[in-house]
Amino acid sequence: MSVDETEPAAVGELPGRRRLTVLAVGVVFWAWLLARWAYHNAVLDRVFGALGAPDLLRSEVPVRNREPWLPPEPFASAADAVASLGLPEVATGWLVWLLDLVAFAIESAPALAEGAYVTVYLTVASMLLGLVVAVPLSVARVYGGTALSWLSLAYTELIRGTPLLAQLFLLYYGLPLAGAIDSVDLVGSGSVPGAAVFVAIVGFTINSSAYQSEYIRSALQSVDEDQLVAARSVGLSKWAGIRHVVLPQGLRYAIPGWTNEFVYLIKYSALAAFITVSELFGRADIIASDTFRTTDIYVIVAVFYLALVLTTALAMERVSTAVAIPGVGQHEGDR
Amino acid sequence: MSLLRFENVSKSYGDEEVLHDVSFELDAGDVEVIVGPSGSGKSTLLRCVNRLTEIDDGAIYLDGEDVHAMDENALRRRVGMVFQDFNLFAHRTARGNVTLGLTEVLGLSEREATERAEQYLQRVGVADQAEAYPAELSGGQKQRVGIARALAMDPDLILFDEPTSALDPELVGEVLGVMRDLADDGMTMLAVTHEMGFARSVASRLTFLEDGRIVERGPPERLFEQPDHDRTREFLGGLTDLHR
Ligand SMILES: Nc1ncnc2c1ncn2[C@@H]1O[C@H](COP(=O)(O)OP(=O)(O)OP(=O)(O)O)[C@@H](O)[C@H]1O
Ligand SMILES: [Mg+2]
Repeated sequence: MSVDETEPAAVGELPGRRRLTVLAVGVVFWAWLLARWAYHNAVLDRVFGALGAPDLLRSEVPVRNREPWLPPEPFASAADAVASLGLPEVATGWLVWLLDLVAFAIESAPALAEGAYVTVYLTVASMLLGLVVAVPLSVARVYGGTALSWLSLAYTELIRGTPLLAQLFLLYYGLPLAGAIDSVDLVGSGSVPGAAVFVAIVGFTINSSAYQSEYIRSALQSVDEDQLVAARSVGLSKWAGIRHVVLPQGLRYAIPGWTNEFVYLIKYSALAAFITVSELFGRADIIASDTFRTTDIYVIVAVFYLALVLTTALAMERVSTAVAIPGVGQHEGDR
Repeated sequence: MSLLRFENVSKSYGDEEVLHDVSFELDAGDVEVIVGPSGSGKSTLLRCVNRLTEIDDGAIYLDGEDVHAMDENALRRRVGMVFQDFNLFAHRTARGNVTLGLTEVLGLSEREATERAEQYLQRVGVADQAEAYPAELSGGQKQRVGIARALAMDPDLILFDEPTSALDPELVGEVLGVMRDLADDGMTMLAVTHEMGFARSVASRLTFLEDGRIVERGPPERLFEQPDHDRTREFLGGLTDLHR
């Protein structure tokens, strides 16, 4: 790697003080986000109600009407005050813009928190379901016979070779999938999301499974072939050897690639907005058309995406350390 | 009846005949040492026994049963293998390396398997390293875990493919010591090794293989002292010089 020595390669490698700052900002952000999700969570609200606890939660308030927990007014008035000083635009313009932006961010935060909630469960669910699909896909690709490995290859190439948005449109508008999901009574009632969210999860699962299986395939191929020979020499069948020897090593090698895919999916999940899902980007879009402050809301929502991406990278670093085994994954894995 | 019998075994890779009409037999408790130049087919011969490689012609019998007719996993349960490069499961501890076959192949419970593994790790002298991962072990320790892994399956026969040639010279002794103990306990062994001291003192038979053919086979002393073929004298002489 040709990274400058003084340049930290990842947040996890930041020197002490800067790392602490990042962590502190992260803790505040997540504490706020989790509190926000809990505050408007219908299930939690009902549980509290049933327990006879004081009625603290506000799950009935529609997203648009949710109140921020900080007053935006001080920032707005500060912006006005700076603007009214009459100093040249070049000197104070940026400060006015920034103060206005903060006020706007505070106002939009409750709706964006709701969008982030959808983004998070959409991505996490799709990544995990995608993994369940990707593991057999990659095993079929590497260890399946001609037919199985060809099928697996065809699937991954078809999915990776076509636009995700086209896949989502096909699933949502082209196939009777949404209708079928909608006909299930629970869907769209109470705290269960509508059909579009399920279609998005199906779409992202299919899409990410193709990418994940590519990462896992190359990780499986980097496991020394003699490992399987040794397993077989003890009397394990080929599949038992794959399950107990190749996969535990290969999946560890796959963690960096898998993290990449996770980060990509967080960002690509914005496409769910195009099939009516109000995730993070969808919420920002709604706010943009309500307020016409298009640039500002996209700057704010970018900060949210950045926070989610950094959190994922840090969390996966932790996972990687937690499952690390001396001698496994330190060489081939770190590509 | 012999425990292992090769009957006119031949094996080719493409046009290259790697084993040519190989016949020999081995009784229970025998220690057979195979030597031969690189590429002479020694590894191939071993791998044919547990069917990591399939033969083209002839037959191999384990305790009178044609191995080709056996389920390969059942066969491998009865034939242990120890590799030159150890091939320990990199993600499992020393103990985990031994337990995998016990739980997955022999169907022992996790507890029984652990107990048995401890017992065999003890036997090869690496009980203290039970929790260590392969990357944390020395070569000699790795190979002893490799032997424990094969041994714990309670096989009829263990195949050794150059078990000491990847080791630093000072670590060779500890592995040979374990093999010697096994031989003393009556374990049947088919070992490819160029450790002539071991062959001389432990082997019941020495086989010299060249170009996929058995050039000469007999008690080690005879092959060392009065071989029938000059080629044997030349080869063994070279080895002994090398290892003095
Ligand atoms: N899977 C294979 N495909 C093709 N050729 C092979 C294969 N395995 C072995 N061979 C060839 O068969 C011959 C014998 O190989 P083998 O590994 O049995 O020799 P060896 O006596 O064990 O040699 P060494 O002392 O180097 O380990 C060699 O020429 C080798 O190239
Ligand atoms: Mg060999």
